[in-house]
Amino acid sequence: MTSSAPKSDALRALYWRSEILRVVYWLYGEGLSDVVDVGLIRRYLGVDAHEDLATFLDHLVDEGSLVRDGDWYALSARGRAKGEVELATAFSDLVHPVLGEGNEECWCHMSAAEAEACADPRARRPPAQSAPATRAHETVSDDASGKAHR
Amino acid sequence: MSEHAQSGDPNGTLPRHYLKPCLLLLLAEGPSHGYELLEQVRRMGIKGAEPGGLYRYLRAMEKEEMVSSWWEPSQAGPARRTYVLTEHGRGGLHDSVQSLRDVREILVSLLDRFDTLPTRAASGSRP
Repeated sequence: MTSSAPKSDALRALYWRSEILRVVYWLYGEGLSDVVDVGLIRRYLGVDAHEDLATFLDHLVDEGSLVRDGDWYALSARGRAKGEVELATAFSDLVHPVLGEGNEECWCHMSAAEAEACADPRARRPPAQSAPATRAHETVSDDASGKAHR
Repeated sequence: MSEHAQSGDPNGTLPRHYLKPCLLLLLAEGPSHGYELLEQVRRMGIKGAEPGGLYRYLRAMEKEEMVSSWWEPSQAGPARRTYVLTEHGRGGLHDSVQSLRDVREILVSLLDRFDTLPTRAASGSRP
């Protein structure tokens, strides 16, 4: 699922905020768990180890949606009260996979920063290794299907 | 993690991707929540089904537009995610069931051949 995350820092922060809150609310709503740690979030989201989820969890603590007790995080009273319905609508247009340039759902159509981040790897690619324009995004599109992460 | 482990079937005795037709069937019977789905798939033979695997499967099926979901606020408790089957999911269920029917025919054929073997006592009496 990591490959579904946008590339620019601003949208990545929003993306992981939404993904993490969604898992925490899901567990809480189903009565399965009131607390999570980084490892549990990683397992639920199928996230690669290099993704720094602890930072995004701490952002949620800073904004008051989660409270932290050692390695464990729980929804705050404010987070429970505000988040459960807001989550359904506030990020619904932002949380979708990267499908690649040429596809109308690509993040690069949504944000100037994302378009810049999307174009940057192609600009830096040596000419000798250049593939047809759609090639890199075909790979991203395969990853975004989620098949590689199951 | 192997497909069987993700499906909650550590022994690998169930067909691959068995969780998927189970979830599609349950949702064809009516909208449901995560916890109910977890309980039901365990009753359908996936004893080791765990919430993380269920969560990822539901997310994947939602991305494939087989399932849609929304947060349902509750007066008595926290909001829960309600899942429903889409038309695309209904088609996926029919495809999955047809695959399982094909597997059943193969298994029945194997079992029929097994039943024609001499019994263990009879085979033990051979010189």
